[in-house]
Amino acid sequence: MRGLRRHIIVGVTAVFAASMSVGLAQERTRARSPAPTGAKLSFVDLQNNARIASKATIRFAISGMEIAPAGTARRNSGHHHLLIDTELPPLGQPIPSDFNHLHFGGGQSEAEILLSPGRHTLQLLFADHDHVPHDPPVVSEKITVEVMAAPEEKPRTAAAANARVFFIGLQDGAVIPPRSVVRFGQENIAITPAGTKQDNAGHHHLLVDTELPPLDREIPSDFNHIHFGRGQTETELSLPPGEHTLQLLFADHEHVPHDPPVMSQRIKVRVASAASPPSGTAPPARTASGRTPAPNDAAVYFIYPRDGTRIFATSTIRFGLRNMGVAPAGVARPNTGHHHLLIDVPTPPLDAAIPSDLNHIHFGNGQTERKITLPPGEHTLQLILGDDQHVPHDPPIMSERITIYVGAPGKRRAR
Amino acid sequence: MTFAARRLAAVLSVLLPFAPLASPVMAQGVQRQPAPRNAMVYFHYPLDGLRVPERFTVRIGLKEMGVAPAGIDRPGTGHHHLLIDTDPGPPDQPIPSDYNNIHLGNGQTEVVVTLPKGTHTLQLLLGDHTHTPHRPPVMSQKITVYVR
Repeated sequence: MRGLRRHIIVGVTAVFAASMSVGLAQERTRARSPAPTGAKLSFVDLQNNARIASKATIRFAISGMEIAPAGTARRNSGHHHLLIDTELPPLGQPIPSDFNHLHFGGGQSEAEILLSPGRHTLQLLFADHDHVPHDPPVVSEKITVEVMAAPEEKPRTAAAANARVFFIGLQDGAVIPPRSVVRFGQENIAITPAGTKQDNAGHHHLLVDTELPPLDREIPSDFNHIHFGRGQTETELSLPPGEHTLQLLFADHEHVPHDPPVMSQRIKVRVASAASPPSGTAPPARTASGRTPAPNDAAVYFIYPRDGTRIFATSTIRFGLRNMGVAPAGVARPNTGHHHLLIDVPTPPLDAAIPSDLNHIHFGNGQTERKITLPPGEHTLQLILGDDQHVPHDPPIMSERITIYVGAPGKRRAR
Repeated sequence: MTFAARRLAAVLSVLLPFAPLASPVMAQGVQRQPAPRNAMVYFHYPLDGLRVPERFTVRIGLKEMGVAPAGIDRPGTGHHHLLIDTDPGPPDQPIPSDYNNIHLGNGQTEVVVTLPKGTHTLQLLLGDHTHTPHRPPVMSQKITVYVR
């Protein structure tokens, strides 16, 4: 028994030693492949101190030797390595592989590289099948290139000369309540959601209390630059009392303003300090309908299951909520609510509390998933968000009514 | 050293870093909220090892517990924290709030993040109304994503 144990130790040690020796082999100087004396390595069409774009194609030339992919051991051959902003590595071992040492093990003789603006050094180094430089090393001169500060701006999307955007029913100098709906329109230009590329089209941005951003790049996304990427033409705006400026700026699929820019005048509005101001973290204001307001880009959806899918009788239904938060029932916080899962029932009236029964499951503790068991057959599911009093928001935040099938595929066709 | 002793040492060295976690008596300060034993927070998206664009939505799932905004003291609830490229701090301390520890204090269950290209780690950690992890902490595995 004792002998066996010792045997194992020896075995383990042997394996360990073997792996160590593999590791050491890479650091130990090994016999380098010889190179002919006439071998010459250089850049093609790239002089020292050249100015290049940040994205440039670099070509390499080798004479007196041949190119072979890495791993192919052949006399007088090897593959290129491009050293960027680095000194020559130790020549007795494989060239490291990282951002500063680009390998062209496939035998490439050109490469497209991306460099930050500024001065960089480039050098070529040829190496054998094991990435070890030859003896003597075949190396190009080290050149310095200057990368110009990104002059290539993205071509801006064209807009019609007579395109314009404007506020609807809101004049310069208007007095508005702390919470008001701002509507805007556009003429001679189309609305498309963000991400949809199309000439003479784009989506609105509302600039609040801010100067125009640079017109040749993406409009920032923050409280002062409100994006309407789904093509909305109105928004509910909450502003503290006092003077504010508003301006509309249209932008393309990448949020970059058009050429020429399509924007409204910058208007000044004054927000009246309302007599009964619902502000800050106080319970959210009720809208005209008496219901709790919700952001108009909020959405509730099924993460699982998807519409039209077949699920097991006992499945976990998972809910997703975009642009709002979850709060337990009874907690009145702006832009929050709790989930309700409706099973096999039509959408209930939206101006009253959602009923509570077996078909209307409340998630009053803020749950975002629930395991349910359904009888075989076809079922419909729908999600509705309710406020602290279980009443749907205004606008109501509800999902599509999806249809799912429970049980074996044959059941679905049963008469 | 015999093989058995060496093995014991190896096991100990693996266990030792977890010793502080195993003795909650050392926890001081705030009273931590209990969490159900089978509570679990997890990623709907992204999944471990996924390549993602620079700007993506992290969707968060929570099992056997509910979501409540920060400041709402309800048993069995908490709010999400997304830890980016960082490890969770001591479980008896409030989760810090910075670029690496994103608080979803309004009860959000998804968040859009923009990360530079490269490899990043993400981890979810539930905090109670005072941003302190529960007992035991409800946290996800640390996943790795590749931003391309």
